[in-house]
Amino acid sequence: MKKNMKMKYLILSALLIVALTFTMVACGGGASEEPAAEEPAATEEEPAAEPEATEPEPAAEAAVDNSALNIPVIAKGFQHQFWQVVKQGAEDAAAELGVGQMEFNGPGSESEINVQVDMINAALAQNPNAICLAALDTDAVKGQLDEAVGKDIPIIGFDSGVPDAPEGSIKATASTDNENAAALAAEEMMNDAAFKAAIEGATADNPVTVAVLSQDATSTSIIGRTKGYLDKFKELVEAIFPGGVAITGHDMYAAPASDAAVVNVFVQVPPTPDAADMKNGAQAVLSEKNLVGVFLSNEGAVTGFLNATNDGADLGDGKTYADLIVAGFDAGATQKKAVRDGLFLGAVTQDPYQIGYQAVALAVAAANGEPVQDVDTGAKWYTSANMDDPDIAQLIYD
Amino acid sequence: MGGKSGIVTNEVGVKRFDLQKLLTAASLVLLLVFFMTYGYFARGLDIASFSVNILESAYYIGFLAIGVTFIIITGGIDLSLGTVMMCGALVGGTAFNTWHLPMVVSLILILVTTTLFGLLNGFLVARLKLPPFIATLGTMMIAQGFGATIANVQTQRFPTMADEGGWFKQVFLRTQDGVPVGIIWFLVLFVIAFFLLNKTRFGKYTFAIGSNAEAARLSGINTQRWLFLIYMVSGIFIGFAGILYAATFTTVIPMGGAGLELQGIAAVVIGGTSLSGGSGSLSGTIIGVFIMATLKVGLMAVGIPQQLQTLLIGVVVVLAVMMDIYRQNSANRIKS
Repeated sequence: MKKNMKMKYLILSALLIVALTFTMVACGGGASEEPAAEEPAATEEEPAAEPEATEPEPAAEAAVDNSALNIPVIAKGFQHQFWQVVKQGAEDAAAELGVGQMEFNGPGSESEINVQVDMINAALAQNPNAICLAALDTDAVKGQLDEAVGKDIPIIGFDSGVPDAPEGSIKATASTDNENAAALAAEEMMNDAAFKAAIEGATADNPVTVAVLSQDATSTSIIGRTKGYLDKFKELVEAIFPGGVAITGHDMYAAPASDAAVVNVFVQVPPTPDAADMKNGAQAVLSEKNLVGVFLSNEGAVTGFLNATNDGADLGDGKTYADLIVAGFDAGATQKKAVRDGLFLGAVTQDPYQIGYQAVALAVAAANGEPVQDVDTGAKWYTSANMDDPDIAQLIYD
Repeated sequence: MGGKSGIVTNEVGVKRFDLQKLLTAASLVLLLVFFMTYGYFARGLDIASFSVNILESAYYIGFLAIGVTFIIITGGIDLSLGTVMMCGALVGGTAFNTWHLPMVVSLILILVTTTLFGLLNGFLVARLKLPPFIATLGTMMIAQGFGATIANVQTQRFPTMADEGGWFKQVFLRTQDGVPVGIIWFLVLFVIAFFLLNKTRFGKYTFAIGSNAEAARLSGINTQRWLFLIYMVSGIFIGFAGILYAATFTTVIPMGGAGLELQGIAAVVIGGTSLSGGSGSLSGTIIGVFIMATLKVGLMAVGIPQQLQTLLIGVVVVLAVMMDIYRQNSANRIKS
């Protein structure tokens, strides 16, 4: 093959000379690309304003000249607003770190695996310094991952990254740590005065119940969220009632209280994620005795819960569940409405801006030969009070 | 009168056609040179992998286009190309993953599936005399639904190169060392198709049916039988497209493939084969295929987003069709 390639090079170089003038014309247009990337990002979304500061801050070493770096970013798609925010983050990181070339690309829809493969091939052909990748399908890109390892091009995963990628092919991944994100919901619920009072008012003779509704017990993200919430909630409550928390419901999470149970946490995982089962599961949760709070670990759980409460109307003032404190996760249109109307205390959303920002930051570090490790891109808590703030509003995509 | 003017048209057609082919070939070279120089100097493009990328994008579109060239020359059309290819790949994937058949058998099943769909198209068009557009619109959906049903709507993953059964990638696509062996299959099948179209009765009748099916029938050609065969042959080529698709992209999603037929047809049209039938060439089709592949890979390599790529390729297709119409009009003018 090498010999063939040399022959090709000879013929091509002849062609190249012929076409040089053509290129000169084209380069006139190409050169104007740069100022756009350099444009200082006048954004309100200060990435440093993160409460749980992400461990490594690669941005700190911006003294390095990155203007020669070429870092293609290949997302899963474009059609969700989520990706637009990821893109914004990636662009801001590239501008702040002075990356010479950062192109954000992705197939038109998340079923176009073949288009994404073509994109990765095109990226590899540029011999870039690093590639950021949110793979649609790991198997479909295995050959490309091998090629990148062979060419010594570091690959950084982002969002869901490249699940089950071969050892060593992905240098690091910038993604949401679901456990931390769900723990945020437990903290915020305990910060709510009414909820805290309800918990504190519980006794061993008259225990209260808090429920977690999860769509399944198989996907890593949902398991992480369920576990993250339970661990944090237990920790916070046991500070008040040592040994007083009993976790019941799904076997995977169940844990009896070491002392008399004062607060029961009931984990409900319906048999299937179907809408009907989720609704029935939510109804079962609502019939729990002394139910004071509910955590819904994803959009499916939220939908099921709203279906079981007459589209949330039963949570309204003066209705059956008016005093119930509900926290959600994700940000679909119905959930956002429930938060806005004050039916939910609030909800946790991932931070796509940080996903894009940290992915590029990791790629820059990897391209400069620095050691990199996975980054938690954090999560945000939104309520009816802050959901219109610009830095929150851009995160709660539909 | 019909015969005579037919000959005149043909001669004019052939002359114009050669000029057009020259132009398309020239624009292919221009495109390649442009993307390679611009990519190399402005973006540090690796020319070797760029070329391989173009080849690998050309394989499956190429086989679709070669097959449908025969059909288009008969004055027909096949809208089911893309979904039939995917259906074949899904059947092959299911055979390998779910039925645990050896890879060889799975690959043969891909060919069998697409050939059967070719036969179905042939039956609908030749025997039942359905208009090809409508008939293949139907099979397009049938293939989509059938493939998804066989695969139980599960995404089918072919083995990667290192896995068991992954040898087929090394045979059809590229070796472990990166030698693009797919080009051999491409050349061999192209030569076979070229021979079929230009040196055999099969090819002669293909043109005859496209020029004037009634005249062909009156001169003793069993048009029904040949049309049937033509659709079947196209099905075989679609099968190879399916194998190459599976080798290139590994993962095949159920209900996909709609839209790919247009890439194949566009390549044929760019290559100068007339949609009204009776004239066309496989060398033109190959040039068209490489123009499509170069545009796809090249625009991507210079950083044009996907939606603009599609837009630009659409413009190229419109230009190609305009050339086709212009050619016909001027041919008609000379005739009258």
